[in-house]
Amino acid sequence: MEEHSLLANYNVQPRVWDEMFGKDGIRPTYRNFVSAIQNLSSDEMTHKDELAKKLFMSQGITFTVYSSGEGIEKIFPFDIIPRILEAAEWKHIEEGIKQRLKALNIFLKDIYNQQFIIKDGIVPAKLIYSCPNFVRQMVNVEVPFDIYTHISGIDLIRDHDGTYYVLEDNLRTPSGVSYMLENRSITYRIFPDLLPKNNVRSVKDYPDLLLKNLVALANRQKSDPTVVLLTPGIYNSAYFEHTTLARMMGIELVEGSDLVVDNHKVYMKTTTGLKQVDVIYRRVDDDFIDPLVFRPDSMLGVPGIYGAYRTGHVAIVNAMGNGVADDKAVYSYVPAMIRYYLNEEPILKNVPTYQLAIPENRKLVFENMDKMVIKKTNESGGYGMLIGSAATEKEMESFKLAIEEDPRSFIAQPIISLSSAPCYINGVLQPRRVDLRPYALYGPDGIDIVPGGLTRVALKEGSLVVNSSQGGGSKDTWVLG
Amino acid sequence: MLSRVADSVFWMARYMERTNGTLRLLRTNYISSQDEVQDFSWQPLLRSYSDAPAKEILAIGNDSPKVLEHLLLDRHNGASVFNNITRARENARAVQDHITKEVWQCLNDYYHLIRDKNIHVQLQQGDPVTALDSLIYHGMLYHGTVDITMARGEGFNYLNIGKFLERAILSADMLNIKLTELNYNLQQPVEVPALRYLLYSLSGYELYLKTHRGNFQADQVLQQVLYNDNFPHSVSYCLKQLFRYFERLETESLPESYKQLEFLIGRAMNNVKYSNIRLSDSEGLRNFLHQTRQELFGIAAAFNQYYFGNS
Repeated sequence: MEEHSLLANYNVQPRVWDEMFGKDGIRPTYRNFVSAIQNLSSDEMTHKDELAKKLFMSQGITFTVYSSGEGIEKIFPFDIIPRILEAAEWKHIEEGIKQRLKALNIFLKDIYNQQFIIKDGIVPAKLIYSCPNFVRQMVNVEVPFDIYTHISGIDLIRDHDGTYYVLEDNLRTPSGVSYMLENRSITYRIFPDLLPKNNVRSVKDYPDLLLKNLVALANRQKSDPTVVLLTPGIYNSAYFEHTTLARMMGIELVEGSDLVVDNHKVYMKTTTGLKQVDVIYRRVDDDFIDPLVFRPDSMLGVPGIYGAYRTGHVAIVNAMGNGVADDKAVYSYVPAMIRYYLNEEPILKNVPTYQLAIPENRKLVFENMDKMVIKKTNESGGYGMLIGSAATEKEMESFKLAIEEDPRSFIAQPIISLSSAPCYINGVLQPRRVDLRPYALYGPDGIDIVPGGLTRVALKEGSLVVNSSQGGGSKDTWVLG
Repeated sequence: MLSRVADSVFWMARYMERTNGTLRLLRTNYISSQDEVQDFSWQPLLRSYSDAPAKEILAIGNDSPKVLEHLLLDRHNGASVFNNITRARENARAVQDHITKEVWQCLNDYYHLIRDKNIHVQLQQGDPVTALDSLIYHGMLYHGTVDITMARGEGFNYLNIGKFLERAILSADMLNIKLTELNYNLQQPVEVPALRYLLYSLSGYELYLKTHRGNFQADQVLQQVLYNDNFPHSVSYCLKQLFRYFERLETESLPESYKQLEFLIGRAMNNVKYSNIRLSDSEGLRNFLHQTRQELFGIAAAFNQYYFGNS
């Protein structure tokens, strides 16, 4: 059919949930959008695609790859076709994430204080104390408003029947939120009028909500506390995000060397001398934040900042030590945490997870390795991972050996196929696998989740890995109002 | 404002001013290389705007495409325009939240422009003036963008301080290069084309013609480059502007830092103002230019120490 030329070659794979195509054709959420683009010629679509690339390049929304001594600017691949969620779906996700974060936050408070959850036998002590991200320095530290996870990104995926699963909780310094904002600002350039016509909910409140929460954490009785964003510097791959957020919030972007600690107070070095800092939104990892307490070779942190935090003179966002809650082995206990702390049934499902420290699990997993994903508990970004269906015998053998050696550091999950969404690649619309990372802000007034998030997409055909370091890209994410 | 940010803004402005100065200098020199084949030499310029060893500079010789390639695009030449723009952009990157998005995008586009293959092809096979013009044009776009979009706060002041300090240094340097070409021997009555080119490079030729009605005299060129307050590239004008933007920092300075800088800038201004340099005194002129440069460098060093926290 002529009018469906753009969709003519769109073949949904069997046993994969497609975001656009259901068994009755195009889903209602996508109908408006499809009717607006289906009659565009491929030239027009390609033009839009090129416009998007040009906009990213000229705005400097790039990361630098260093090869042969010279930096090369690259843009994160962006696919112009938005991923669309309906209001009811979003409500479900929102409630699920709020519930989950509440439980995870109480868990952090508990694990660094009384440890009821261990004493009641819900979570084994061994699991916690063997976690490399359990930060002993955080034990009995008083955290403002008992909030640990101020900013989190929860990764969601959908199985073949459309059910949402939580794949990972990112509670340390989740990145990518600037792409959520930038993708949207690119979309209204390439698809004029489509956003208002589809009644897409806005994401632009994110910086305001974040700033409101940061300001609220200041300890000093002061109407205008000093809030800063601590970045590792211009060579960090997320540097663009740091500058964008600092600019949007109107706060100072500082590097470790801009800060000094004196008498347990943090100051920044300004042209008019030292100025006290009240709240630090840090994008430097725990390990690097204070060379006196953590890695002594860190050049990115601030000596003495931990002491200032502990004495309550400065608030640090996110809290240190959150890694114990998003460890991949601890992840399997999140549903139990929700039941234990909140006395509720989990709204969002966990992917079934086998801890390989348990011998029976190990046996089961080794027998069904081709149907499993094996992950290291302490790695992210798509590293340290084996997808059974795509692995060679040799890779499986080497993973088995590594697991036998250090079973605590591995988990296994059945392969979940990930839903697919339409992407405009090489002039045709093709399905590619996606996940979804909404960003949640936890402040003294409660949890806010901006409607949308980052849809990451595996641009390689058939690939299930959406991480940007592994050839993944992103899409704008629409939540219809 | 963070000391590091002030430092970066200051250097961003300096690199951009240097870029503009170098580009205009190259454009005029290239044109003169086509025009005055007899007396023309690239060597004085190469010695000032390249950090390559003397041997390599000699090897480049007078081959204009090679010279332009080296001074404009050579990544290994620390003083090349390419490196100036890259550094301006790196500085801008580190202070993105203190300059407007428009300024950042303009600098970012500039960086992509000089990396563009077309510039290289134009230089080697096409018309180098076209390539230089497109680069100069983009530099002007930057200045306009700064003027239209930047808030008149501390950042803007540091930006202008950097700009005028660098411009004063450039004007003094360019004058020195030209005079060195002539061995500081300016008593010959004949017209000196080198000085005409100097005025071209400093965008001051039209002003000269309007003021002196075609009466071309070396002494008057010198007066314009050093003292004319209507000429935006004269040393005197740059210092006055520098002082003007510096004064605006008073409320945002530590008193002792302000005092130090006020003294240094004031002294440099007065040394220029109350000097009386004539061409006949070539030794005095040489010393004066040397002293002025030293004072300008001293001001930069003092900013570094008192305002940017680098001791």
